[in-house]
Amino acid sequence: MKSTKKLWLIFGPVIIAAVLVWGILLLPLNHRRVTNTDLKRSAVSLSTNVYHGTMLKQAAFSKNYVPFMGSSELLRMDPLHPSVLAAKYHRSYQPFLLGSAGSQSLNHFFALQGVHRQLQGKKIVFIISPQWFTKHGQTPDAFGYFYSPLQAIDWLLTAKDSASTRYAANRLLSMPSGQSSSVMTNALQKVADGQEISHSEQLFLEYRRRMLRNEDALFSKIKLDRHWERVKKGERQLPTKDSNQILTTTAIQLAQKHTSNNDLGIDNHFYAQRLRGSRINALRGSQKHFDYRYSPEYSDLELLLSEFKQMHTNVLFVIPPINQKWSRYTGLSLPMLKQTASKLKYQLNSQGFNHILDMTSDSRDDYMMEDTIHLGWLGWLKMDEAVKPFLTQPQAQPHYHLKSYFYTKNWQQALPQKEGSH
Amino acid sequence: MINLQPYSNPTYFAIILSGLLPVIIGLYYGKRLKIYESLISLVFLIFTFGGNHWHQGIALIGYTIFQVLLTIGYAHYRQQKKNQTSVFVTMIVLSIIPLAIVKLTPLFPANHGFNLGFLGISYLTFKTVQVLMELRDGTIKEISASQYLHFLLFFPTISSGPIDRYRRFLKDYENPPARDVYLQNINKAVFYLFQGFLYKYIIGYYLGTRLLPVVTHLALGQRLAFGGTGFSWYLLAYMYVYSLYLFFDFAGYSLFAISISYFMGIQTPQNFNKPFASHNIKEFWNRWHMTLSFWFRDFIFMRFTFWIMKHRWLKNRVRISQLAYLVNFLIMGFWHGVTWYYIVYGLFHAGAIIINDYWLRFKKKHQDKIPHNRFTEYFAIFLTFNVVCFSFLIFSGFLDKLWF
Repeated sequence: MKSTKKLWLIFGPVIIAAVLVWGILLLPLNHRRVTNTDLKRSAVSLSTNVYHGTMLKQAAFSKNYVPFMGSSELLRMDPLHPSVLAAKYHRSYQPFLLGSAGSQSLNHFFALQGVHRQLQGKKIVFIISPQWFTKHGQTPDAFGYFYSPLQAIDWLLTAKDSASTRYAANRLLSMPSGQSSSVMTNALQKVADGQEISHSEQLFLEYRRRMLRNEDALFSKIKLDRHWERVKKGERQLPTKDSNQILTTTAIQLAQKHTSNNDLGIDNHFYAQRLRGSRINALRGSQKHFDYRYSPEYSDLELLLSEFKQMHTNVLFVIPPINQKWSRYTGLSLPMLKQTASKLKYQLNSQGFNHILDMTSDSRDDYMMEDTIHLGWLGWLKMDEAVKPFLTQPQAQPHYHLKSYFYTKNWQQALPQKEGSH
Repeated sequence: MINLQPYSNPTYFAIILSGLLPVIIGLYYGKRLKIYESLISLVFLIFTFGGNHWHQGIALIGYTIFQVLLTIGYAHYRQQKKNQTSVFVTMIVLSIIPLAIVKLTPLFPANHGFNLGFLGISYLTFKTVQVLMELRDGTIKEISASQYLHFLLFFPTISSGPIDRYRRFLKDYENPPARDVYLQNINKAVFYLFQGFLYKYIIGYYLGTRLLPVVTHLALGQRLAFGGTGFSWYLLAYMYVYSLYLFFDFAGYSLFAISISYFMGIQTPQNFNKPFASHNIKEFWNRWHMTLSFWFRDFIFMRFTFWIMKHRWLKNRVRISQLAYLVNFLIMGFWHGVTWYYIVYGLFHAGAIIINDYWLRFKKKHQDKIPHNRFTEYFAIFLTFNVVCFSFLIFSGFLDKLWF
C-alpha cells in the first residue's frame, strides 16, 4: 500500500499536468474574442506570432483590414507610412501588415492559408522587393523563421492536385521546415507526386491542426503593442487635412530633418548605427555583381499569383525604387534593376495582373527612401497616390489566366523578349 | 523508415517511456528484464542510427565490433599475467584511431570517402579507453562481451554522455535496486526530466533560438568596431548569451540522459553542479561537464603526473602539475576538434588554472593579510564567471566568423 501511494505521489502531478496541457490544447478554443484594439495593434505589430497564426488575420480580414504584404520596408514607420495615413484620416480601409526582413513569396503563399474565406474577392497590396530575386532565392533559414506548421497543414488539408500544388509541395520539401516532422514529410511527398494523402495522415494532421489553432488562440496576442505607439506618434505629426499637397510639404520637412548627418539621403539613426565611420567604406562598390534578373524566386512569385487567382483577389503590386545615391556608392547596376522590374511586369501583365506601380524610375528623386533600399517619406506618399484610389474606389473584376511556363527554370533564367512590352 | 534523434522532441519521451514501461514495472518488482531490455535498447539504437542515418549505423557496428575485439583480446592477454607496456600503448592507440580519423577528416575537405563517424563516437571512445586502462591497472580483472556491450551501447547516454565508469555501471546493472531505493530513483528521474524540460526546451530554447540569432546578427554588424577588431558591446552580449545557452542546453540534455538512466535503475553520474557559482577555475572544472573533466583528471592528468614522477624527468612538483595541466587541456582542446579556437580554448583554460594555482599558493602563504568576506567571495564568483564566459566565446568559434 505504501509503495502505491509513493507511486501516486511521484506520477500523480505528472499525469495531472499532462492531462491539463492536452486538455487545453485540444479543447475547441477558436471562438476567443478578438477586440478592435487587438486588431488595431496586431495590424501594425509585424509580430511573427501574428504572421504564423490565422485567428487574428481571420478577424481582421472579415472587417475592413487589407493585407499589405512585403518585407523589411513595412517596418519603416515614419508618419507617411500607409498604416499611419490610414489611421490618421480614418480611411475606409486599414492596412494589415504582413512580412518583415526575410519574408518572401513562398512565405507569403503560406501566410494566406487559413484566410481564403475572408479574403475571397477582396483586395491586397503587395510590395515586391527586387532584393528577393537573388541567384538562390529564398534562404532556408529565413523561410524557417516565417514558416508556420499551422498554415502548412491548413494548405495540405485543402490542396487540390495541380501544377501549383505540386510545386508548393516540392518547395516545402526542399526546405528543412518541410522535413521537421515525418508525417508531414510523407504527406508532402504524396502531394508532390500528385497522390492523395491517406486517411490516417489526414486524421493526424487534423489533430495537429486543432493543437496548433489553440496555440495560435492562446499565444498570438502576446506582444502586440510593439509598434502601436509609433503609429500614434506619427499621427500627431501629420496635418489635419488629408491633402496630397500639404502632405508633400510635411514629408519633405520630415525627411530633411531626419537625413541631416550624411549626403546619401539616409535616415540619421540608420546611418549612425549601421554605416558611420569605417563601416561604410567596406561597402563601396560591394554590390557591383548583384543580379536580380535570374532567380528561382520568380517561380515562387508565380505560386503566390496562383493563390491570388484562387481567391479572386484584386492585387496592387508595388515595385519599390532604390536610393540612387546609395546604389552609386555600392555599385549596384540600375539598368539591371530596370530589367528586373520589366521581367516582373511581364510576368504580371501577361497573366492579367494589371495593377502595378513600378517606382524603379523614381530612384533618382530625393526623399523617396528612408535609407538604402527601404521606402520612406515621399516614397510612401507616392505609393499612397496609387493605393488610396485602388482601395477606396471600385475596381473592375480581374481576369487571370495563369501559365505554367512561369514555374520552369527556363523562365527563372530568361529575360522577356521585348523589354517593357505592355 | 523512422529516425528519432535522442531527446529532440516531446514525442521521443513518450515513445521512450512507453518502451521502457515493462523495464520499469520489472524493476518495481525487483527484477531486471535483461532480454527485454537488450531488445528495446537495440530498437532504440536502430531508431537513432537507422533510417536516413543508416551510414552512421554501419559505422557504429564496425566501430563496436572493433572495440569489443580489442578489449576482449587485451583482457585475455592480461589474464595470462602478461603486462608489457608496448602492448598496452598499442591497444590504446588502436582504440583511439577511429576517433582520431574522424576528428582529422575535416582537415581534408577534398575527401569524399566513407565517413567513419557517428553520433557519440567520442563518448564511446572515453569508455573503451577507460576500460583498457583499468585492465592494465588490474582494477578490472575479467570482462564479458555481453556486459561490455551493455556498458558501451547503453542507449540513454550514447550520444553525448554523461560518461559512466565500467565497474560502477555493472554494479547497478547486475543488482536491481530494492523497491524503496528504486522509488527514490524514479522520483529523482521525474524531477530531472522536468528540470531538463525547463533547461533545454524553455530556457535553452529562448537563449539559443530566439536570442542568439539576434545578438549574432548585431555583433557581426559591428565587424569594424573598435579599430577593426570587432570588439563591441554586442559581442559581450553574444558572449553571455552563448555561455548561458551552452550551459542550459547541455545541462538539460544531461538531465534527460540521467533521468532515463534512473528509470532503468542505472544511477548515471551527474554532469553539472551549479558551475557558474564556482569561486575559481579549479572549482569550475569540478562542477562543469563533470564526467568529462573527471575522466580527463583520472586518465590524462593523473597518469601523466605519475609518469613524469616515475621517470624523474621533473623534480619540482609545481612544474609537474603545470605541465600536466597544459597537456590535459591541450588534449581536451584537440578532442573538441582540430580548429584554432578549440585549441586556444584548451590553452586558455590551462593558463587560467595555472594562474589560479599560483594565486591559491600565494593566498595560503599570506592568509593573515588577505581579507576573506562575503564581498571577496562574490567578487571571486563574478571574476570566474567572466573568465569562463570569455573562454566560451573562444570556444563558440564566433571570433573565427567575426575575424576571418
